[in-house]
Amino acid sequence: MRSWRYQPVRDFGLPLKERLQRCPREPGMLVYASRLVANLVLRLVLKTLFRFRVHGREHLAEPGSRILVCNHTSHLDTLCLTAAMPIAKIHRTYPAAANDYFFSDFARTAFSSVFINALPFDRRRGAAESLERCVRVLKRPDMSLILFPEGTRTSNGEVARFRSGVARLARATGLPVVPCHVSGGFECWPKGRWLPRPGPLVLHIGEALKFDESTDAASICRQLREAVIALEDKP
Amino acid sequence: MNVNSALSSPVFQLFSATAGTLMLVAGAALGTLKLFGRHVDHALESYKSWLIMVPLILLTMLLGRVAVIVAVMLLAAFGFREFARATGLYRDWLYTGSVLAGIVALGAATFVPDPRLGSPGWYGLYMAMPVFVIAAILLAPVLKNRSDGQLQRMALAIFAFVYFGWMFMHLGFLANSTHAYAYLLFLLLAVEANDIAAYISGKLFGHRPLRRAISPNKTVEGGLGALAVSLALPWLFWPALPNFTWAQLVLIGVVVGVGGQLGDLIISTIKRDIGVKDMGTAIRGHGGILDRIDSLIFVAPLFFHTVRWFHGL
Repeated sequence: MRSWRYQPVRDFGLPLKERLQRCPREPGMLVYASRLVANLVLRLVLKTLFRFRVHGREHLAEPGSRILVCNHTSHLDTLCLTAAMPIAKIHRTYPAAANDYFFSDFARTAFSSVFINALPFDRRRGAAESLERCVRVLKRPDMSLILFPEGTRTSNGEVARFRSGVARLARATGLPVVPCHVSGGFECWPKGRWLPRPGPLVLHIGEALKFDESTDAASICRQLREAVIALEDKP
Repeated sequence: MNVNSALSSPVFQLFSATAGTLMLVAGAALGTLKLFGRHVDHALESYKSWLIMVPLILLTMLLGRVAVIVAVMLLAAFGFREFARATGLYRDWLYTGSVLAGIVALGAATFVPDPRLGSPGWYGLYMAMPVFVIAAILLAPVLKNRSDGQLQRMALAIFAFVYFGWMFMHLGFLANSTHAYAYLLFLLLAVEANDIAAYISGKLFGHRPLRRAISPNKTVEGGLGALAVSLALPWLFWPALPNFTWAQLVLIGVVVGVGGQLGDLIISTIKRDIGVKDMGTAIRGHGGILDRIDSLIFVAPLFFHTVRWFHGL
């Protein structure tokens, strides 16, 4: 009689904090259920307190993996984007989040990974390693990676210069990059304020752009930034 | 079981004092060994976890019957989760969900009163539960309309439910007994003492492997040491146990002494077959939940039916 073959989960034997930091993760029903409930509550809160509206949802309808890039003025940007995703895709949507802030202690790590499904991104010394992690996630089918190419929240509400990581990722994966813009985030919850103030939030999702290996990084960053800014002026 | 009855119960006081004294003695012994330069780091890690677990167990008992049932149910659920993660059954939600639903149903059957007798805990439903849960598990491949690899999944799910759920959760049903404090606290203390005795006597005298292919570190001498301690313990706590005859005290000792070793070997067999060292990382210095409750899973139902046969619940 042949022996059975077991396939332990990939993060078997790792301590809980390390398991939560890994991407892609292999969570169980409890995590999926918690994330689903959190996402539904988030949608309700954004709708009622922030009169949240989304334009251009049809640009997310195509199957397959994609990179979403967005301006970054407040923590609400991530929440808006996760709330705009189709509910069936929330477990396959990974917002890249600063490792030094969102994964600094156990409570933040648990919150970021369970409720937001955040991907830890080391924006200081380990950017290359973090980009590799992004590639690993995007290689799986039907994944969405949310990136904020400015690297941090802006302190004046303007769209800052895009860093080259997004260009490297777009070239390495060849996946479509969807430009997005959140309006109202800066007014509701600017950098430095403890809690958000209710106000209107609007998310514009643009048409996906594709880049090949030959496009230079500066040009990709410029095109993406222009596409994001163009969405700002949309009605 | 409630806070007042726990605080006024001489049995609860006796076992709490014993646990406290044992922890103090073990702490002092480890501290002394460390002072003399002995390598006790792993034992210290394990001891630190006990410093959290012992008060937690006593607090659960203090809170009463519902707390005990919920705690046992959670241990069964998270223990099963470790097994499912180790085998890969975790990825199959239908099987995992059926087992977890079965564990919750066992918790409910332990909690609700018997509709005919009015006594706490629906004994008949609890004992019949495997029939329904196994039927639900066997339905999974039919619902999925798949056959490849399903026998392995069905077998793993049924084993997990029966062993980690049904057998282990007999422990929670003991909370429905009129002698709940005596049975639960004696069982926990005896099983852990059996484990520790096996470890210490194995370290001191062990040289003949007990089951080399399953667990090379366990020795015949360790097993005999554990059996000796387990046979002695019922006599030591005889005043706390309800009118046990000498033969019943010996039988309880054998159940704990032999059952505890077998439970340990069963989890070792599972780990060795899967190819993992520990079943998890939940308890520092111990491994996973299943590594800690391995003996208890096997002993709890045997102990339950032994005491129920002689004294009822």
